[in-house]
Amino acid sequence: MNVSRTERIVNQLILTVFAAFAVVPLLGVLLSSVTPANQNSGGFAVPESVDLGNYAEAWSRGNFSSYLFSSVVVTAAVVVLSVVLATFAGYAFARMHFRGSSVLFYLLLVGLTLPTEAFIIPLYFNLRTIGLTDTYWALILPQTAQSLAFAVFWMRNQFRGFPGEIIEAARLDGCSDLRLLWRVVVPPSLAPMMTMAVVITMWTWNEFLLPLVMVVSDAKRTAPLGLAFFQGQHLTDYSLLAAAGVMVALPIAVLFFALQKRFINGMVGGISSR
Amino acid sequence: MMRHRLLRHGGLFRLGGLLAAAGVAISLSACAPGPSGDTAAPSPTNQASKDISSAGQVTLTVWDQNVDGGISKAQDELNQQFHQKYPNVTISRNAQSFSDLKTTLKLALSSNNPPDVVQANQGYPDMGAFVAAGMLRPMNDYAKLYGWDGYYPEALLKQNSFSPDGKTWQGDTLFGVSQTGEVVGVYYNRQLLSSLGLQPPKTLSDLNSAMAAAKAKGILPVAFGNLDKSPGIHLYGVVQAALAGAPTVDELVSGQGGAWTDEPSLKAAQQIADWSKQGYLTPGANGVSRDDAVAAFGKGGALFTLSGTWLQQTLQDDLGPNVGFTTLTADDGKPATTGGQGLAWAITSKSAHPDVAAAYIDFITNATSAQTLVDTGNLPTVLPTGYQPPQGTVAADIATQYRDVQKANGEVPYLDYSTPTFYDTLTAAMQELVGGQSDPQQFVDALQKDYASFLASKK
Amino acid sequence: MTRPVRRSPKAYLYVAPAFVVFAAFLGAPVLQTVQYSFFDWDGLGASTLVGLKNYVAVFTDERLRDSFLHAGVLMLFYAGAPVLIALFLSALISRSHAMRSMSFFRTVLFLPQVIATVVIATIWISIYSQNGLLNQILRLVGLESLGRVWLGDYTFALVAIGVVGTWLNIGLCLVLFLSGIGNIAPELFEAARLDGAGRAREFVAITLPSLRGQIAVALTLTVVSALKTFDLVFITTRGGPGNATTVPALEAYNRAFNTGQVGLASAIAVVLTVVIVALTVSISRIAPREAE
Repeated sequence: MNVSRTERIVNQLILTVFAAFAVVPLLGVLLSSVTPANQNSGGFAVPESVDLGNYAEAWSRGNFSSYLFSSVVVTAAVVVLSVVLATFAGYAFARMHFRGSSVLFYLLLVGLTLPTEAFIIPLYFNLRTIGLTDTYWALILPQTAQSLAFAVFWMRNQFRGFPGEIIEAARLDGCSDLRLLWRVVVPPSLAPMMTMAVVITMWTWNEFLLPLVMVVSDAKRTAPLGLAFFQGQHLTDYSLLAAAGVMVALPIAVLFFALQKRFINGMVGGISSR
Repeated sequence: MMRHRLLRHGGLFRLGGLLAAAGVAISLSACAPGPSGDTAAPSPTNQASKDISSAGQVTLTVWDQNVDGGISKAQDELNQQFHQKYPNVTISRNAQSFSDLKTTLKLALSSNNPPDVVQANQGYPDMGAFVAAGMLRPMNDYAKLYGWDGYYPEALLKQNSFSPDGKTWQGDTLFGVSQTGEVVGVYYNRQLLSSLGLQPPKTLSDLNSAMAAAKAKGILPVAFGNLDKSPGIHLYGVVQAALAGAPTVDELVSGQGGAWTDEPSLKAAQQIADWSKQGYLTPGANGVSRDDAVAAFGKGGALFTLSGTWLQQTLQDDLGPNVGFTTLTADDGKPATTGGQGLAWAITSKSAHPDVAAAYIDFITNATSAQTLVDTGNLPTVLPTGYQPPQGTVAADIATQYRDVQKANGEVPYLDYSTPTFYDTLTAAMQELVGGQSDPQQFVDALQKDYASFLASKK
Repeated sequence: MTRPVRRSPKAYLYVAPAFVVFAAFLGAPVLQTVQYSFFDWDGLGASTLVGLKNYVAVFTDERLRDSFLHAGVLMLFYAGAPVLIALFLSALISRSHAMRSMSFFRTVLFLPQVIATVVIATIWISIYSQNGLLNQILRLVGLESLGRVWLGDYTFALVAIGVVGTWLNIGLCLVLFLSGIGNIAPELFEAARLDGAGRAREFVAITLPSLRGQIAVALTLTVVSALKTFDLVFITTRGGPGNATTVPALEAYNRAFNTGQVGLASAIAVVLTVVIVALTVSISRIAPREAE
């Protein structure tokens, strides 16, 4: 059962090669972002001098301070809404009996398979009719709907696995359903809820098509959308683009490094965590 | 994902069937999307007035594509000057690249709070579509109020006009005025040209000899980057005009006669295919952005680049007195090239401040602004009287060419104006031609197909 | 353990908020997409019922057919290649879960997945540019003549985009498979070794079947991501040069919001969704039967 030394070295070698393959482009953009603009020709190179001014310029002239703010607002709202709504619904699916629960649950699951393209066209025209396009709500509500499919499924799973005795005991103590859910069931389930929140954060932050269609004014642009248009105007300003790109990707990357296991487990739907 | 577990139950198929049935049922119930009845172009509801100061605090949302060096500076300056003149008006500027604006403007105009002022590209694909959808405010009343009808040449005003339903270009209703004049021609590197012992080319054959000479000496003849797609239009436009003469191409684009499969157009396509094969164009041009190609030219990496006067400031910054500009003459001895004016400044029909918008548009396009424009290296639509930049500069070349071409009526409209889908058709066809994916006959056939079906649909 | 089945009407209150949001912003629009697909509509004026005309166009219009073909090509790069490569690597790497550095590798390999596609597109545009990393590498190994602007090349643009997908997904598949292997009971390997089985047989007879679940997950995630591709193509090539890299999602977007062909765009979206669902269901058949 011991892994022999040669085996271990071979393993490490193979994994290192592919880890390098994964990381080199990302390393490249980091290096590019601190390269002075006139030294940058778009290739992979270690800069002679470090210039942090690219970040300052992207932040102010590139308006990324505004774009990042919009992203934070939308992402926070989607996560909070999804978690709350999914906790209620997931609990009901897991622990309550009611007619039509299977049908409703299947409907939600169908939502998991649907690409954004399947509903964005009429969604745009609907929101335009009621005057909600170009608002944060146009981004928050649809993305909450998309996240709910995953979130409700996830919470139902969690609550199904929750020890029934504790619930029974609390009920016998006269606990109301609401208190039961939020005071008894949720606190021990915070870890998997965190996992779900983290995955929804990533999906929402990285979303591009929905803001592209819904957002018209610069003030409501989220970070990925801002980067796309910024790129169109500065096609060969490699340093500036790199700095902007790093700013857009960094929050999620940082979150990822801090909560690696949760991310990976959440994204592959819990299979790895068994 | 867990979902595959439950997908294998018949439940999902039953569900799918239910949904499909529901969808069919909804559509069959004749529940048509969209409003019922016609959306006619809205007629202006306000009395045109020049009084802006009494409008109170106004934020004017402006969408433009003036991102090139010189014009971007000019735009910022003009916006500042306008705010100084009318402190109650704040300009909220949204600048995007030309291709980005093309993608986003339609959505923006049809949303519930569209911008007040937009730069709209003339011709059927953009302005025509906007007018047909009732998104732009007719401007004939403001034209009279501010004297635009006397200030601009008739031909240029016509390019910015449509019939009220947007179906016919160059109709009687004015929908915008342009800030800059434009001419597409040949920028050349003076030093490289004289090192080859040549004079600035005046005809297409001059151009060909110069390119051959450059290639022989190992200099890249033409810097051409077609990634953004629009440069292809200008390259073809210059060659076609030189071969066909201005009147022919003008008729073709305005749908008055001729076909894209006629001999001059075919010869133009052949010329470009030959250039590509002979290595006269930037290698891998379809993957090189316009900015990259221009930057290469600006560093002295090519003899020519065929582009428009909007690059004046950029190339002035790069090459200083070392860059010149010329246009080609057709066989009839008259200059013939693509050009006219920059994108038109238009007022959206949903704007709550049409008077302020009109005042703004007048401010940034009138004779006073023309001075700001030339100071920042741009070509205004109407040159200030007595405007003569120092000899031997590209500014002087451009001013001279602009005047000469206009005098000889040698300007043909941009080719993409021809049909609502022509921008897409022409740019894609040019990419294929330059990339060696299609031959000249296939190229002109593709253009003619689009053109013919548009003309047929108009009858 | 028997429990009285209590039908709680309160449950509907618990489910309602989630369901209202879901139905209003996802469910209903999906049905409307189907509805729109039977009409001709420019998004502004009135619409006309045209029956199946849009669907016919999806199958007869050369550009739309090509877009689905390109999606198929992308599937090979996004799904086929990463899965195969990851399986091969998993065969080479033995009992990696026993390695302490595994969690470090897992993090690094997975990193591309969490970066926004727009950022990834920006990164790879510079890698594929004239002086970018790819041409730099070619220059290093003396293949400078092969260098070009990859995203502007008719033959290679789609492949270039596909390679980005491979880069994105190799880590994901590798992580999935390695953790799956970690769950295989060691006794099985011991038994195989005692029986004299070589590495290859061991892989085919034990590892591969045990990984069926993970392979299904990997294939589902990657195939669907290939079909849904929009961000990457939009930023890098906008479907160009010419129409060499156009994909269904891009066509649907362009026609709905640019050229005023909302009905046709909806039809494209419907066909795309049907293909995605069909593939997802077929792939799920690979997965082993799990006890409900």
